[in-house]
Amino acid sequence: MNFLYRIKAIVFRELRLMRQSQIQLLATVGVMAFCCIFFLTLFRDGFPKDLPTGIVDSDNSSLSRNIIRQIDATELGETIGFDTYTQARKALQTGEINAFLVIPEGFYEDVLSGRQPVLTFYVNSLYFVGGALAYKNVLSMVNLSSGAVQREMLRAKGMSEAQITGTIQPIAIDAHQIGNTTTDYGIYLVNVLIPGMLEAIIILVTVYALGSELKNGTGKHLLEKAGGSMTVAMTGKLIPYTVLFTVTGITCDLILYGWAGFPLAGSLWNIILGTFLMVLACESVAFFIIGTLPILRLAISISALYSILGFSMAGFTFPVEAMHPAVQGLAAIFPLRHYYMIYVQEAIFAGGFGGWHTHAVCLMLFMLLPPLVSDRLKKAYIFRNYPRK
Amino acid sequence: MKRKTSYPRLWCRDWYSVFTQELKHIFSDSGVLIIFFLAGLAYPLLYGAIYSKGSVDDMPIAVVDNSCSRLSREFTRGLDATRELRVSCLCANMAEAESLLKGRKVKGIVMIPSDFGDRIVSGEQGTISTYADMSSFLYYKNLTMGVNMVMLDEMHRIQASRLAEAGYDEHRISQFVQPVRYEENLPYNRSFSYSTFFLSAVLLLVIQQTMFYGMSMLTGTMREENRSIAIMPKRLNGRGISRTVSGRGAAYWLIYMAIGIYVAVLVPNLLGMPQNCRFGEILVLLLFYITACVVFSLTFSSFIRHRETVFVLFLFMSPICLFLTGFSWPESSFPEFWKLFSYMFPSTFAVRAFINMNTAGADLSMAGPQLAALSVQTIVYYITSCMLSKAETLLEK
Repeated sequence: MNFLYRIKAIVFRELRLMRQSQIQLLATVGVMAFCCIFFLTLFRDGFPKDLPTGIVDSDNSSLSRNIIRQIDATELGETIGFDTYTQARKALQTGEINAFLVIPEGFYEDVLSGRQPVLTFYVNSLYFVGGALAYKNVLSMVNLSSGAVQREMLRAKGMSEAQITGTIQPIAIDAHQIGNTTTDYGIYLVNVLIPGMLEAIIILVTVYALGSELKNGTGKHLLEKAGGSMTVAMTGKLIPYTVLFTVTGITCDLILYGWAGFPLAGSLWNIILGTFLMVLACESVAFFIIGTLPILRLAISISALYSILGFSMAGFTFPVEAMHPAVQGLAAIFPLRHYYMIYVQEAIFAGGFGGWHTHAVCLMLFMLLPPLVSDRLKKAYIFRNYPRK
Repeated sequence: MKRKTSYPRLWCRDWYSVFTQELKHIFSDSGVLIIFFLAGLAYPLLYGAIYSKGSVDDMPIAVVDNSCSRLSREFTRGLDATRELRVSCLCANMAEAESLLKGRKVKGIVMIPSDFGDRIVSGEQGTISTYADMSSFLYYKNLTMGVNMVMLDEMHRIQASRLAEAGYDEHRISQFVQPVRYEENLPYNRSFSYSTFFLSAVLLLVIQQTMFYGMSMLTGTMREENRSIAIMPKRLNGRGISRTVSGRGAAYWLIYMAIGIYVAVLVPNLLGMPQNCRFGEILVLLLFYITACVVFSLTFSSFIRHRETVFVLFLFMSPICLFLTGFSWPESSFPEFWKLFSYMFPSTFAVRAFINMNTAGADLSMAGPQLAALSVQTIVYYITSCMLSKAETLLEK
């Protein structure tokens, strides 16, 4: 009972510290709330609509104007007319438009006489989403105009509409996007960005909480209260944070899959379990960092560098298997990577326990880190044997 | 009688003492040095290593060929031949392919239905189904692009053979299949390389973020040691704000011009990124950007009370500033509020100018609007940082 009593005392001590400083609460709840609002509103359209495409119409014939009108009528976005190639190129270089199409002089004439004129288009693929979409759009535009000419030719031959479709487009593609049927860019990013933010915050706040004792020289007091047991001290200290992070994490899960209605093929309980395991893994990483480097300011700087790298190494934007072989293995040392794999199995494929158990085990392996450095941290708390200035 | 020092000389002497004092602070603080030099110098290279390949090539997919016709086999071979895709498994049925997809052995499925060959031969439209793993957009992009290219290719071949059967000559066939030809140009990033795209945006952001964090750490330290950030010579009695602010700023400015040249000129060279802009023009952009960053950081760092809190409270701003540059999600699709919010940060304008200039080869005059915005920020933040320093000295009294 003595054990539990001491833990309780440490928990209350920690709650008092949290109330005094308020940084921990602000950093967790305030920052996560801001991030949720930011990312959910920024990508609210799902995918960018009405991306402007430039058109340089050097032909200015009834056919070229007709093509522009047809493009305007599709969902491919509005068109902006440019008089010269140079103007359009400048707009492309400054990112004002992501693509432009040049209709050459004598286009109509050449089509009529079967001389196969060439439409030229330019895409700025430096802006990824805009560029990729513009590329797709402008390809559709070109094929649209090609199809329109073919349709006229076949109609003149007296073919039926079904035959015409079969001839113009013998193969159709029926695309299915598993786990994100509307190809919503927001769903794809926010699902990982929000846990990524949580990861960064957990590591930073935990390092801050454990390191503040060193900075303020209260480590000795903490251990006295814990009866000299590091296990009691750390358990008591981390309980309030674990509760805070888990509640915040679950709230985010509920916002994403409940309120915002993000698709979830599997069960919400498994996502919540994944979130909880990530919380524990991140706390362990934080413990390891402050234990190895028991100087608050250095540990905080290292934690910041580590957490920011986690976003890239999770591999949700650029897949890990395509990274340089030398850095591929490093992905495993980031809890976010394992959370992402659990999320993919659960939310996209509904793979269940069988699909993600290896990653759950990996997350639990992180919990072996704290015992490694616990002694070092304890000595730092008692003797303050680290450079202070 | 002692000769009275003239005002400009006095000003310069004060300025110089503030400037050197700040440099001393910076170089005697290991935490700040980690952020300025480890993060500033190593991060760009690290990102370069992570994204060195730039694109996902030969992504494994499964093909379920229920048609088993000549055309479907041709289609499968076509898929395998693209740069994007590799047919790693020919599955007997969808269930098998699905289990491979779930096991992450393949990143997409192409299903050719049993009536595909018959429908094409009889002049109707055949449908091919694709199933994309949406866990990463690059998987989706690869599958879509690969399948579409093969489809267009096959389509032209089918049309040609149909017309040949109808007795058209080759010239007429070509006229029909491609009444309009097209030529595509992706001048700045031919292969949709992820590294060119990501690094172009992240390189300049590193400058603003590390400067802000480092300066805030120093400000926090001063606050904890009960020193004022308005480290003015005592005898001035609260006057001389501008020499203090500009003296402090100059210290960061000097360090960051060096880091900036490394990040914006040397790193792209080392990583083999496109560099389509003259050194002088990039230098001008850096002058504007780093000046704006210094006064931006001076303004916002003065709100920091404790040394360590800046990371705990503001690390999340790094990804947010990155998205605010519009490098990924286009700026034209930003909600109005976030568009205005993004104008607060020098990175928003500088990253756009850098992408346009360094990679797309725009010249300095085309970056005029961004340079103007950076100048406005410099003026506004200089005034606010002076006001905050003044407020600090008044509060101390």
